Amino acid sequence: MQGLVKDLATLLGSTQILSQPEEMLAYANDATHYFKSRIPDAVVLPHTTEEVAKVMKYAFEKEIPVTPRGAGSGLAGGCTPIHGGIVMDLKRLNQIVEIDGSNMTARVEGGVVLKKFQDTVEKRKLFYPPDPQSGCVCTIGGNVATRAGGPRGVKYGTTGNYVTGLEVVLPDGSIITPGGKFVKQSVGYDITHLMTGSEGTLGVITGVNLRLLPLPEADRTVIVVCETLEQAAEIVAEIIARGAVPAMLEFLIKLAITIMNQYFFPPLPTDGEGYLFMFFDGTEAQVEYEAKLVSEICHDMKAKEVRLVEDPRAAAAYWTARANVYPLIQTIFERANSEDITVPRNKLPDLVRAVQEIAAAEEVMIGLAGHAGDGNMHPSILFPQVTPEALEKSEFAIDKLIRTGLDMGGTISGEHGIGIHKSKYLAWELGDIQIELMKRIKQAFDPKGIMNPGKIWMEDGDKHA
Amino acid sequence: MLRLEDYEKIIAKCSHCSYCQSTCPSYLAEQSESSVAKNRLLIIKEMLMHENLPFTPRAQEIVDNCLLCTNCTQTCSSKVPIDDIIIAARIKIGQKGVGGIKQFVMGKMLTQRGLTGALGKAGSLAQKLGIATKEIPQLASKSFDKMYSGTYTPAGTVKKRVAYFVGCGTNFIFPDTGEAVVKVLNHNGIEVIIPKGQVCCGIPALAEGDLEGARSMVETNIKLFTGLDVDAIITDCTSCGMMFKEKAAKCLSDDDPLQEKIAAVTAKIWEVTDYLQNQGLEVPPGRLDITWSYHVPCHRGWSPTVKDAPRQLLGQIPDAELREFDIPEQCCGGAGTYFMEHREVAEKVRALRLQDINNTVSDVILTQCPVCRFYIGFQVMDREVTHPIKILAQAYGL
Ligand SMILES: Cc1cc2nc3c(=O)[nH]c(=O)nc-3n(C[C@H](O)[C@H](O)[C@H](O)COP(=O)(O)OP(=O)(O)OC[C@H]3O[C@@H](n4cnc5c(N)ncnc54)[C@H](O)[C@@H]3O)c2cc1C
Ligand code: SF4
Ligand code: SF4
Repeated sequence: MQGLVKDLATLLGSTQILSQPEEMLAYANDATHYFKSRIPDAVVLPHTTEEVAKVMKYAFEKEIPVTPRGAGSGLAGGCTPIHGGIVMDLKRLNQIVEIDGSNMTARVEGGVVLKKFQDTVEKRKLFYPPDPQSGCVCTIGGNVATRAGGPRGVKYGTTGNYVTGLEVVLPDGSIITPGGKFVKQSVGYDITHLMTGSEGTLGVITGVNLRLLPLPEADRTVIVVCETLEQAAEIVAEIIARGAVPAMLEFLIKLAITIMNQYFFPPLPTDGEGYLFMFFDGTEAQVEYEAKLVSEICHDMKAKEVRLVEDPRAAAAYWTARANVYPLIQTIFERANSEDITVPRNKLPDLVRAVQEIAAAEEVMIGLAGHAGDGNMHPSILFPQVTPEALEKSEFAIDKLIRTGLDMGGTISGEHGIGIHKSKYLAWELGDIQIELMKRIKQAFDPKGIMNPGKIWMEDGDKHA
Repeated sequence: MLRLEDYEKIIAKCSHCSYCQSTCPSYLAEQSESSVAKNRLLIIKEMLMHENLPFTPRAQEIVDNCLLCTNCTQTCSSKVPIDDIIIAARIKIGQKGVGGIKQFVMGKMLTQRGLTGALGKAGSLAQKLGIATKEIPQLASKSFDKMYSGTYTPAGTVKKRVAYFVGCGTNFIFPDTGEAVVKVLNHNGIEVIIPKGQVCCGIPALAEGDLEGARSMVETNIKLFTGLDVDAIITDCTSCGMMFKEKAAKCLSDDDPLQEKIAAVTAKIWEVTDYLQNQGLEVPPGRLDITWSYHVPCHRGWSPTVKDAPRQLLGQIPDAELREFDIPEQCCGGAGTYFMEHREVAEKVRALRLQDINNTVSDVILTQCPVCRFYIGFQVMDREVTHPIKILAQAYGL
């Protein structure tokens, strides 16, 4: 890589290049830092699409790997530069270009932070629902690249449902603008949505057109305490079956509640095993009706306690705590590996039972939380101590979990993406033919294989190949 | 005891979630992950704790460029005490003698006369050190301790007694805050005792990694405030409050005999508006036709109610209207003596803050931190920046 830094400085100016190891430690991985890490050879910090294109053109010529990076909050190792080369930090592409109230659309640059965008549109009584819990940092480009979602998925879907167009810099530096400001299109292959979920392996997302909704006028939070995990899961399945559509329906276990209780006054009771956090939004009459309906279902199904939260401040505290569950867990355990299994919603009770059986059989601790409303659960292997034996056991348990989820007609990832973390399981879900097809698509976009190499599927020589 | 070695396990709790990126002012100014809290922890871990990589001048710069604003610590959902770790790193750097001339000289000045020592001397030392800035606050012609000391008893019945810790900012730059504190408390039936011989709280010295200096100040102050027959010890400065509440005990070893006294004193520490709001005003304030905005100081994490206290307290003044900033809690870049040593970053941070300030129309900007007061004040010409207690005094006609 001799001359790399000098060349990049000539292209962009030296204030947009990092190359000292002490500047780049933070760029060696994402939130799965306990998997692979690699200090990149250089980090570039472009401000514009043109600058991105310049770097791509250069990298294409020289055949240097480029790994796009948003906030680096990913949970799949997607932005870890496993083959070194250039990490392209896109957070300086941070302009909200347009919010068009009359069209209910917006246009943002790829590095715009999700929460900043949501706050901005909400001031104008507009609403952008996708809500990965890392919203305070993650970028919309990163959300598109991972097809991210969150608790609101149950009612509103995930990022992919809101993307109507993109601006993408391809590996050779050319710029394309698939889709657009219109909300529907039927013109050839849907490249917009092929890029959505491409995890930085096909090109760099520099601009995004998004669909917006009107901001709901009212909301209600309901907290349900359940005797057992199964009971909680059964209530979820029943709510869905009865046609109620909460905007969020989150499932948590007692362990999570004990840690979250530091946010609440009065604290939640800890005599239940399973907990549901629900949120309804819409018109005042609608939320009133739905919250009541669901409370009745919970009572009918003998929930221990159903708490209707009236005070908006208290409600906000519950949801802030919910957003912090994953990092909070890490304050207690040496490590927590979070999975992302998603099953058809009527299978939730089966999944919850299976998780407990696997934990018992493999002698590992498995925490369970998730966006139960859309069947997306995050069983987390909890390590009081990270030892070789614990790692081995955990791998075994994860294999079993994933197999179980797939057997129920589920998927290995509902929202985090594959990255390097889950590539081992790709073939289990997709089979060889689909993977081969994906590789050919990748070849068409990226003939030299420079775009975030080593991601999604296993490479020859990988441990589990 | 702010020993870097003791943070081995805690530093491993960092989950790399990047949440700290959302509030770290040095990151927001530089827009590079090298300047985010997370990267400082990585540098400290790899270069100072494990010594896997050499501790380079660039690494030193990144550790130094932290404003110790504590925003990361407040944001960090893994509860990593990032600011303590950075302080511990600076102490270790100081002990290794790699901190350089600036740290040495700043440390010396701070030990002698606290924040204002640095401010007062900064002019003359400016050229030599290359820390020149035209923006150095004017010292008041008469310091607060020259005007006020001893006991101030209210006219009517004495409802409560408090001791008043007077920080350097109030003592040397803004004695008007101190006057308002005494008057407002007295007006509400609260007796105020101002012990003689108070020194700087120690936070500026600690920020420079001068543990010895900070410890000696803690010892002096704690001895002065120990054993006073008071209901509370109040300060008007959120950073002094933080120093007492969260840092003082960490300046001494766990088994130091003074620890018990520190615990007793710090249990009584309150920021003055927080105290008044908690007690409830005895006398309802009069009408004041004013619009105000509130710049929440960064050092607010030590009291869950301190950031809402001015809002609730001044909310009781008829006709006074709060015009919230878009982001009320955004660092201004001043950060103790930081703005003198790291002028470029400080100015970038302030420029971000000023966008919001300039977009918000109000008659006055209020904040409980004297550094925010002058550092924002240097650039805000259309409004006064002052302490909330002064508006309350005004509403009382004091
Ligand atoms: C505490 C915590 C909670 C989380 N909760 C959720 C959750 O509820 N739901 C959820 O879906 N995820 C969640 N995540 C995971 C993560 O925040 C999301 O995957 C998010 O979309 C990643 O965005 P990012 O900007 O951090 O992207 P990064 O992590 O930087 O990158 C992710 C992937 O996208 C690629 N990429 C990034 N930007 C671009 C771009 N502009 N163009 C092309 N490729 C790009 C990268 O190469 C990488 O493969 C959570 C993470 C944490 C740490
Ligand atoms: S917020 Fe805390 S845990 Fe997350 S990256 Fe920053 S320091 Fe680490
Ligand atoms: S104390 Fe402030 S400047 Fe320092 S790392 Fe934390 S947030 Fe950033």
